[in-house]
Amino acid sequence: VTGLHFFRRLRPHGRSGYWFILPYCIFFLAFVAYPLVFSFILMFHRWNIVSPMEWVGLKNFLRLFSDPLFYRSLRNTLLFLAIHIPLQAAVALGFSLLLHSRVRFRGVFRALYFFPVVVSGVVVTILWQQLYSFDYGILNRLLTATGLPRIPWLVDPDFSMPSIAVMATWKNVGIYIVLFLVGLQNIPRELYEASEIDGAGRRKQFLHITLPMLNPTIMVIIVLSTIGGFSLFIEPYVLTGGGPMQSTLSGMLYIYNQAFYFNHMGYAAALGFVFALIILAVVLIQRKVIERDRTA
Amino acid sequence: VRFLLNTLISGLLIALTAGCARDGAAGPAPASSREITYWAAPNTQEIELAETLVVAWNQLHPEIHVRMQPIPVSQSTEEVLLAAIAGHTTPDVCSNIWPGALHDYMQSGGLIALDRFSDFDSVALSRTPRELLETFRTGDSHFYQLPWKTNPVMMFYNERLFREAGVDSIPRTYSEYFAAAEKITRDIDGDGQTDVWMGERVIRPIWWQRLFDFYPFYIGASNGSMLFRKDEVAFDNQAAVDVFSFFRECYARRFYPRTFFQGGDPFNLEKKATDFAGPWQVSQIQKFAPQIKFGVVPLPVPDSHTGPVYTSGDYKNIAIFSTTRHSEEAWEFVKFLVSPRHDLLLLRIANQIPVRGDLLTNPIFSEYFAKNPIMASFAREAPYTRGMDAAPDLREIFDAISQEYESCAIYGRKSPAEAIRNAASRARMIAEWNR
Repeated sequence: VTGLHFFRRLRPHGRSGYWFILPYCIFFLAFVAYPLVFSFILMFHRWNIVSPMEWVGLKNFLRLFSDPLFYRSLRNTLLFLAIHIPLQAAVALGFSLLLHSRVRFRGVFRALYFFPVVVSGVVVTILWQQLYSFDYGILNRLLTATGLPRIPWLVDPDFSMPSIAVMATWKNVGIYIVLFLVGLQNIPRELYEASEIDGAGRRKQFLHITLPMLNPTIMVIIVLSTIGGFSLFIEPYVLTGGGPMQSTLSGMLYIYNQAFYFNHMGYAAALGFVFALIILAVVLIQRKVIERDRTA
Repeated sequence: VRFLLNTLISGLLIALTAGCARDGAAGPAPASSREITYWAAPNTQEIELAETLVVAWNQLHPEIHVRMQPIPVSQSTEEVLLAAIAGHTTPDVCSNIWPGALHDYMQSGGLIALDRFSDFDSVALSRTPRELLETFRTGDSHFYQLPWKTNPVMMFYNERLFREAGVDSIPRTYSEYFAAAEKITRDIDGDGQTDVWMGERVIRPIWWQRLFDFYPFYIGASNGSMLFRKDEVAFDNQAAVDVFSFFRECYARRFYPRTFFQGGDPFNLEKKATDFAGPWQVSQIQKFAPQIKFGVVPLPVPDSHTGPVYTSGDYKNIAIFSTTRHSEEAWEFVKFLVSPRHDLLLLRIANQIPVRGDLLTNPIFSEYFAKNPIMASFAREAPYTRGMDAAPDLREIFDAISQEYESCAIYGRKSPAEAIRNAASRARMIAEWNR
């Protein structure tokens, strides 16, 4: 049966479905499939946008594995994830527990916590740049006013990535608070009532009911944070440019620099491919853990 | 599925046909009305200069019409020009060619060699000394750019801040600079915060920031050397180590802040006493901080230095793109741009220094320099400027220098010798990777 016969045999409302998906198909082909195929081809070429593409085989990958900055950017990204994910999950869980309880102005607090999510990432980053300024920032002025030494938030390689992780947490925590709240609302009240009858206190209820029941939500948050963390770009791009001493050079920032500062499109495509494989591997591992937990 | 494919193909064909039709409508003007497109730098003064020059040209040459357009705004002119080369939408003439990007333009066949015009030598040499002109010759022995203007990077100093700190003589050497910095950098109101710094540089490791600190200082310390010699990396030497040591000391002794300044140029805000910049800064200070009394002198050099102080010229040159259909006419327009009368306009309107050997001797300029002694300082420095190697991957090499500069000078985590060795090693690695 040819495609045309197949289309004619469809009932009218079946045909109209194809018309509805046509815009997305065009979008998908132009902005997803084509760039993917093109970047796959690019990985094996040298191309600076203006000159013709030159086949270089696996040279981009050989360069990648001998490039200290690739390893540096990978290490920085993993450090960011190591700080950001637990911090994000803990802060979001804490605030969602507070908001889930009967506090006054609960709706106002929910809106306030969500506010940074809807503000542009660049605007948030510029605001935090003011807060973090070593000589003139508000945070350091508060510290010196209380007799404490100033902290080189963004100008010391040991502090810069944790500072960015804190800022990213503040920016995104609203989304995860909402996810946790949904998770908390789905826990049957009967479980708490039964545990109360059995003599369980608040702590035991949290450890043996709330946390296990929130496990799927926690896993979703970890997966989302991981994917989001690997795409860390705006914060180091605006705040530090990857410095000091490349301590905030994330994988995405390094790819951007190679592609758009130095016009090494082939090398940037190879970097992107390798980072995509790493993200895939990390997410698969996380998924395995989730499935194992569910079956257990 | 076939229906979907047919629809898609038909749609694409319609879009392509429409695109072709539009292309044709916007195609080149017929030969009888020859038109040249000219791209000028997109800042207010240069747009005004370009408009003045183009009006004058169009009045004198009604048969060759020049259409001026500021370079489309982007992060950099180089990005725009590369995109234009890729899209075959380059202008006929552009007067904002940074020599450091020339290799990319050449490699893509985007430029025409100007020495193909029989009078190139006479035009270029009537304006630019041969020794300087030769620094713009590319590896294939051609000239793809006509040196147009230079912005010698020099040291600006705030006279009031120097005077109030009790510094009478303007520093010429590194030691003199540190001695002045000891007095100038201070907390005036006693709140524990430094109010006046000797200097300040952007601490983010951005490659082009090194064009205004490491690179001109290196040229000065090395008596006019550039980063490459015979296509090989040649900056791992004592001069480069001296420059890193100088900036390292500026940060270590807290003469420079390790911070991000907000709220405007700290020199205009009188928060720093010295700045390293070209003549474009003069009009900026006069416009935004007219109360500041300032002077301009050559950059500080190592204590053992003798002879004139060389610096980076931050050249911007003129090129003709290979997409031109009127190369002869474009060349005539280029010659028009670099005539002495129009060089005077370049000074008057744009506050920038034409690449001329006779700036201080040609009577046409004498009145201007008499009225603008600060600009005369730049004109005196112009013969001691160096451009940029037409080397591939220059931006990435400057990025490597920038990273090491940051580790060594700003954060003191590496010795100057180690940092220069690392930067040179990475520069060679970059050259090898991209060969």
